[in-house]
Amino acid sequence: MGIKVVPRHGKSLKEKMYLPAIVGGLKVTFSHFFTNLKDTSNIQTLNYPEEQPKDITERYRGVHRLTKREDDSVRCVACFMCSTACPAECIFIEATEREDNVDEKMPKKFSIDLLECVFCGGCVEACPCDAIRMDTGIFSFVKEKREDFVVDIDTLLSHKPMKGGKK
Amino acid sequence: MATIIVDNKEITVENGALLIEELLKNGIEIPHFCYHPALGKDGNCRMCMVEIEGKKRPQIACDTPITEGMIIRTKGEKIQKVKRQILEMELINHPIDCPICDQAGECSLQNYYMDVGLYENRLSTPKTHGKKNIDIGANVVLDQERCVLCTRCVRFTKDITKTKELGVLNRTDHSVISIFPGRPLSNPYAMNVVDLCPVGALTSKDFRFHKRVWFLEPAEAICNGCSKGCSIYVDHHKAKYEDDSIFRYRPRFNDQINGYFICDVGRLSYKVENKNRESVAKIRGKESEYEYASGKLLRLLKRHQGKILFLISPSLSLEEMAQVKKLSIKYGAKLSGYDICEYDKTFGDDYLKCNDLSTNRRGLNLLDIDESELGESVENIDLAVLIGRDDIETIKNYEQIEVKVLVHPSMPKDNDIYNLYLPMLTHTSRQGSFINIDGYLQFSKSNVEYAKETQSLLQIISILLNDNATTCKEIWDESLNKIIKNIHFEDIQKRSVKMDES
Ligand code: SF4
Ligand code: SF4
Ligand code: SF4
Ligand code: SF4
Ligand code: FES
Repeated sequence: MGIKVVPRHGKSLKEKMYLPAIVGGLKVTFSHFFTNLKDTSNIQTLNYPEEQPKDITERYRGVHRLTKREDDSVRCVACFMCSTACPAECIFIEATEREDNVDEKMPKKFSIDLLECVFCGGCVEACPCDAIRMDTGIFSFVKEKREDFVVDIDTLLSHKPMKGGKK
Repeated sequence: MATIIVDNKEITVENGALLIEELLKNGIEIPHFCYHPALGKDGNCRMCMVEIEGKKRPQIACDTPITEGMIIRTKGEKIQKVKRQILEMELINHPIDCPICDQAGECSLQNYYMDVGLYENRLSTPKTHGKKNIDIGANVVLDQERCVLCTRCVRFTKDITKTKELGVLNRTDHSVISIFPGRPLSNPYAMNVVDLCPVGALTSKDFRFHKRVWFLEPAEAICNGCSKGCSIYVDHHKAKYEDDSIFRYRPRFNDQINGYFICDVGRLSYKVENKNRESVAKIRGKESEYEYASGKLLRLLKRHQGKILFLISPSLSLEEMAQVKKLSIKYGAKLSGYDICEYDKTFGDDYLKCNDLSTNRRGLNLLDIDESELGESVENIDLAVLIGRDDIETIKNYEQIEVKVLVHPSMPKDNDIYNLYLPMLTHTSRQGSFINIDGYLQFSKSNVEYAKETQSLLQIISILLNDNATTCKEIWDESLNKIIKNIHFEDIQKRSVKMDES
């Protein structure tokens, strides 16, 4: 054991004294403090959740939705491209025969485990039919049980694109 | 033999053989639709074009006999252009519905498209449509739009099954594959057209939409549908949070046994493998701990020593038979492979299917296991152990047999007849060697893992024998090589081997 002598940092005397730097930092802090005190409208932080963010754009990757065709039926054809591309392997699909002559194949089950999802958007990129999108703007998804985070096909179909987004 | 030069590389090939055959054999990729080794050439798809020095125009490799000193180019700008044009022709009326097509992932058209080029659709008129999703019988679904008119399916029904159910209807871009009115596809080998079809025009109704093919893992196995023992692939997959299950069987090429095909009954027998997966041991119909049940069997064997009958299925592997034989010697038991249920006079034909439904009857003979009727030889028996079979009828009439034990992948409904039931793994989950009806020895490699707690028959017996031989290799070294002297375990890993007649 012994005492390790640490050399003082800084080159000039002013730097070695530290205090001038501390004063400089506090100056910035206080200038923001007084500006914000005078005018609260420009504050960068939010009083979440009373206050909701307004800067979520259409490109924001929110909770998924399954899109619909012109006749309001499901667009997905259960091709498994999304679940193949998904790095978290959290898309669970079961395919079935589609009987209404619109197409041959459709999903019987389609669920996404949002607890496993890493919101990478890979599924949206992979879909050849534009059947899955993440443009709902839903950024907060709170549930009480784990199982409730596995969203099923009906929920995914019920999600709407965010306001101002493309249909 | 002839020497030819392909893409500046010299290779030695058979003189006079078809060029495509030898190129494919040498691992040189030649795109092709209509040529198939089992059906021969037809020369209608023009996909297999190669440049041959001295010939003005590109030639089809599937109808060019090899001559000494040929100089061939399979790559290069010129040939690429030709392929691209032919593919563009094929795609003019193709629906390109890969997302809903079961062939996607193993489709020749899709593969060649990715190889040859990603081009724009130059067509301004609407596509000519055909009928989709037509059930043409025998579990085969036809999509006329996806067809490339290679006529492989037509030639299969004409040349192989000779049933002639399929034909080409109409002319030019209205040409479609069709059955004749009121005469659906119906022959015991019909589903092979699904494998033959290079695109998604013929798909299996049984496999339809169950799994995308790129998830499937193929395991090499042999079919246990009959004594032909066709070579197959077991396509299985373990989805997240689910048990491993089998989705289809496909023929595995074996020129000694089944060629490129299998029968439909064998192909669909995978379902039994998925269904018969008992994993809980039972004592008098009540669930029991596995270890306890296995220990109880050991105690039973010790108690009834000298008065035991092992009734084994003639479909067990050689390894399993050898081990049961060892077990029977240890406990002075009678060992029998008598099994009347394994014959079906209506099953066989003159192609692949055989009346004998057991997979390894010749194995019984080889290991000298008795298969004559039980008759009076069971008079002093009071414990019967059925292995790999659940035909209680065979021993029902022998009242002196008090204790009945079943070791089988599935539990029959009337399960309280048995004093003890031990589950064992199914056929595609147990490795082993089999001798087929024509004397070919084959090794089935597939060991699909579905339930951790269920044991293979070799594991079960090794506990009863108190030895450690649980792998096929060990049993070959230990006992089988004493009987089969000229064939070794390694010899049957890659292909089947004909047994000596002696
Ligand atoms: S966003 Fe990424 S992780 Fe989430 S479901 Fe899509 S592909 Fe999977
Ligand atoms: S990729 Fe698109 S069409 Fe295919 S299964 Fe996923 S959502 Fe459905
Ligand atoms: S259905 Fe398939 S095998 Fe038959 S001609 Fe068309 S592409 Fe060829
Ligand atoms: S002929 Fe026999 S061994 Fe071959 S596939 Fe059919 S049942 Fe299986
Ligand atoms: S494979 Fe040669 S023409 Fe079709």
